[in-house]
Order: sequence, then C-alpha cells, then structure tokens
Amino acid sequence: MTLAQTPRNHQVFGIDWPVVRAVVARDLRAIRRSKAVIIPMLLVPFLLLVVLPLLVGIAARRASSPTSTISFLDSLPAALAGPIASLPPDEQLLTLVLGYLLAPLFLIVPLMVSAVLAADAFAGEKERHTMETLLHLPIADRDLFIAKFLTGFLPAVAISWIGFTAFAVVANAVSWGIVDGLIVPNGLWLVVIFWVAPAVATLGLGIMVRVSARSRTTQEANQLGGAVILPLIFLAVGQATGLLLVDLAVAFAAGAAVWMVALFLVWRGASKFTRDRIAGNA
Amino acid sequence: MIAGTPFDGVSPAVDREGEVVITTRDLSRSFDDRVAVDALDLDVHAGEVLALLGPNGAGKTTTVRLLNGVLAPDRGETRVFGMDPNTDGIEVRRRTGVLTETAGLDGRLTARENLEFTARMRGLSKAESRRRVDLQLDRFEMHDMAEYRTAGFSTGQRKRLAMARALLHDPEILFLDEPTSGLDPAATRDVTDLIGSLAREHGRTVLLATHFLGEAGRIADRMAVLDHGRLRAIGRPDDLAAELWNGVPADIDLGGPATSEAIAIVASVEGVMRQEARATGLTISVRDRTTMARVLTALTSTGHAVYGASMRRASMEDVYFALEDSPMESFEQVAR
Ligand SMILES: Nc1ncnc2c1ncn2[C@@H]1O[C@H](COP(=O)(O)OP(=O)(O)OP(=O)(O)O)[C@@H](O)[C@H]1O
Ligand SMILES: [Mg+2]
Repeated sequence: MTLAQTPRNHQVFGIDWPVVRAVVARDLRAIRRSKAVIIPMLLVPFLLLVVLPLLVGIAARRASSPTSTISFLDSLPAALAGPIASLPPDEQLLTLVLGYLLAPLFLIVPLMVSAVLAADAFAGEKERHTMETLLHLPIADRDLFIAKFLTGFLPAVAISWIGFTAFAVVANAVSWGIVDGLIVPNGLWLVVIFWVAPAVATLGLGIMVRVSARSRTTQEANQLGGAVILPLIFLAVGQATGLLLVDLAVAFAAGAAVWMVALFLVWRGASKFTRDRIAGNA
Repeated sequence: MIAGTPFDGVSPAVDREGEVVITTRDLSRSFDDRVAVDALDLDVHAGEVLALLGPNGAGKTTTVRLLNGVLAPDRGETRVFGMDPNTDGIEVRRRTGVLTETAGLDGRLTARENLEFTARMRGLSKAESRRRVDLQLDRFEMHDMAEYRTAGFSTGQRKRLAMARALLHDPEILFLDEPTSGLDPAATRDVTDLIGSLAREHGRTVLLATHFLGEAGRIADRMAVLDHGRLRAIGRPDDLAAELWNGVPADIDLGGPATSEAIAIVASVEGVMRQEARATGLTISVRDRTTMARVLTALTSTGHAVYGASMRRASMEDVYFALEDSPMESFEQVAR
C-alpha cells in the first residue's frame, strides 16, 4: 500500500485536523524555544496582571483620604459612578480600579500575544524559508491558514485566561479585609474575558495576517503591526473607560463590534492566503 | 556515507517504466512583467532522471513550483500522474518529494523534530514516523546529530537532512532543486549515486534542477536546457554534447601552418562549422563524425599530406556556453 492510498477519514468539515494539529504543535514547540517571542509574551501580562494590581492595591490600602476617589467618581458615567459611590468609602478605590478600570487595559494581553505570534507564524515562516517547505506538503491552503490562525489564537486566549486567574488571585488578596467578598470576577470581567478578549485576539491576528503578507521579516511585521495596533490600544483604553464600563449591554455590543471587524479581517486574510500568492511574494 | 538501498524494507520498486508521469504544454508563468517560465513543453517518463539545466534565473525553481501545484500557471497546463497540480495539488504533493533550494529547516527544532513533523504532515502514524525518521537519519549518517537543533548545522548537514526529509515518505517523483550545491566532493558523489539508484533500481522519477553542467551530464538520462524561461534544447547529454550546435572540435596535423588553399578546401566541406589555422595545421569544428571523414578525403584527394587527425570530446561546458551565446532561433527546431 502506498501512501497515496492511505484512507484519510479524519476530516471534519473538510478540514484535515491531524495535519492542522501537526502544524500547530510544531509552531508552539518552536515558539517555546524562541526567547524573542516568549519574553514579551509573558512579561507584559505579568506586569499588567500581577505587578500593576499589586501596586494599585497597596497604594489604595494606604490612601487615607478617599476624597480623590470621590472627585474622580464625578467624572465617571453615572451608570458606573452610582454603584461605586454606594460602597463604603474605603472600598471605593479598590473596587473602581481593580474591578473596572483595569478591565480595558487587560485587553492589551490578547491583542499583543496574538499579534506577536501571528507575526512569527506568517512573516517568520517566510523569513526562515520554512514556508516554501510547507507549501510543498500535502496540506490545503485553507487548513494551513487555520493552523496558523490557531497558533496565534489558542495561546492568546490561554495566556489571557491564565493571566486573568492570576490577576483575580492578586486583586482579591490585595483587597482582603477591606472589600467585602470578591472584587473579581464580576459581570464586567466575565464579559471581557469570555467575549471581548477572544474578539481582540482575533483582531490582532486579522491585522497581523494582513501586515505579514506585506513584510519579509518578523521584525518588519512587528513594526508595521505595532504602528497599526498601538493607536488602537490607546483608542480602546481611552474609549473603554468611558464606554465599556457603563453597563454590560454596552460591553457586549463593543465586543460584537470588535468581533465583526476581526472576523472580516481574518476572512479577507484567509481568502488571500493561497499558495500562489505566498510563493509569488517570496 | 549514504548506506544501503534507499527504501530498505519500506516498499518495492515502482514499475511504471516508460510511462509518462509529467507532461506540460505551453506552461507559462510571469511575475509582474518578467517571464519566468515561457511556453514549456515537457514530457517526463517514469524512472527517468531529467535534469533541468540553466543559469540563474532560467526558471528552474519556478518550473518545480508549477509542477507541484505551489504556483498556478498563467497559461498552458500540466499533468502529474494525470492530475492537474493546480486543482489536485494535495493528491499530487502526497506522491512527490521536494528538496527546496534553501533547506527550509526550522532552526529551533532538532533534526529529528524537523523530520518527524514532515512525516506527520504526510499522514504517517507516530510509530511509523519514528521508524522512517530513524531509517533516514541512519542512511544520511545524521543519527548522532538527531537531537541537535538545526540552527547550528553546516550547509552540507542541512542539505543532507533536507534530502532525508524529501525521501521520508518514499515518493514516486522527486523534485531536487540544486541537490549538490554546498556539498563537498564526497557528499556530492553520495548524492549523485543515490539519485542514480533511486531511478534505476527503484523506478523513482527524478527531476533535478541544476546549473552544474557536469553534474547534469553525469546523472541525467536527459537534460532540458532552460534559458530565460524557455526550453532551448532537450535530449541525452551525449547527444547534446556531441551532435548539436557548437560542433565537435578536431585538430588536423598538416606538418605546418595550413595554407589558404587548404583552409578554403576544408571550409567548402559540408558540415564544417569553423576552421582556423594553427602552427601545425588547423583546428576545425565539425557537425559530426561523418563530416570529419569528408574533410580528410577532401584534403588528401587534393594532395595535402595529413599527418594526424584527432577529434576532441566536446565538454558539457562547450555546449552550455554555445547555448548561452547563440541566438534563440537556431535552437528552436531542436527544442521541439
Ligand atoms: N516570487 C517571485 N517574484 C518575482 N519574480 C520571481 C519570483 N520567482 C521567480 N521570479 C523570477 O523568475 C525568474 C526565474 O526564477 P527561478 O527562481 O525560477 O530561476 P532559477 O532557474 O531557479 O534560478 P537559480 O538558479 O538562481 O535558482 C527570475 O527572473 C526571477 O527573478
Ligand atoms: Mg532556483
């Protein structure tokens, strides 16, 4: 029996999953050994989700006068200011910062992780001349795209969720004894981690797929991608403190908007991800 | 260095002897306005080693990509095992193995991991992947390097590993893009022997892209000379060297410089392509052996004493440069 006749009955939705899994497994293994990729990918979540809440928490515990919180509450949308203002004064600052203000900042994690990984998966593959080898293997264009997508998406979501768990532990520990019950997770955080974060990860991928097609090296892709993604972060953080926090319906809607843009970009990227284009651009 | 037969206990020889496994008709591909492959007509038979010979930029790599469905043609078509690589690419690629120009190894993975990844991609089970990877690592004497990351490998080691990878799944057609570039003479000979054995003992078809004429002449059953994307000539290496184009150089010893009369006589013989006086006689180029006989008859029958005559063997390099220097039209009839 030659290989050509090997029955291939593991296809689901016409996707050759073992082949997709082989690519993802290889990519993740290679990435784990790549310091240039792994360090920013772990350092940023660590700073954002462990160090920052720790500092904020300690500072908030020491803040003797809640007046600054009160004046800040005035500038917040009423929907948010209301529930916070009704809390006892010493709980206000911690709940505000850890329970709400950090949530949009948290979204940097899935965005950055997926962007860094996508740059490595798409542009990096070209740079290392391993893309050509892949193109000569029996994998469909679409399956290859799916594999590359998952290489960025799965770790981005995983790191976000693990990071969130760490954050929840830190946030609740640091407010222990001051705030009654748990600060996180609250409703907002649940929407953010399960709905908005995957959308943002997909957005990062969608952007980087596009950018990588135009770059020859990972560095180039990262620079170009950074130029697109950084303003987006500022925009998101700036808008989110005013908007996302107001109520859950708005957070949901914002997530849906991100999903739509992200899926459009990914769909566009996928339809342009053909062997002929990739090899023709090499 | 490369031990044993290629597929010890893996699979029997493929017997398709003579069957056409690759055809192209009018196959063409451009990038922007640069033509990379231009109206290529080619038939490759099972079990044959066909060299695609040509200078840098001739279109060799592009041809391989077109045949394996990595690039789509602008015009014309191609069939591999009767399938169109453009639409049945996956099926075609299951049955072909490719050694790309750059080894294309992930430096962050070990030699073994690089090979096992390819084996898995080719649908082999874990156990079978391991078995075949071990077999290939042994064959290419890379076993003691197996657990090292390939980032530190030398050019030759990379090439060998990439070659091992191309053979992993026992492909029926092998596309080898410059398999010996960067190899030392011993490794070159091993690869050359391996290619010969793959084709002759195991019935595999080998398409070899190279710009080394000597290599093409030694290994290939036929050579296809490409230049600027066009097929300039195709045939057995000896035929190309001895019979076509530049002619066969020959020296004629007349005991002194040839007179202008002698030169005129020689020039008038049909099949003489070039003649030039030398201190001991003249040097000529003849189209073939029978021309040589006519030249000698013409000289002796007009009273010239011929002390000696010898034909040199045209080197592959002679053919190559003749092809490069000559106008395209003169080769078109030869290139079918
Ligand atoms: N992806 C691409 N984009 C633009 N031009 C290309 C591309 N691939 C090939 N070409 C052009 O097509 C022509 C043929 O290239 P190809 O790589 O097939 O040549 P080759 O015979 O393999 O050369 P070499 O011996 O240098 O490897 C060249 O002029 C090259 O510049
Ligand atoms: Mg080439």
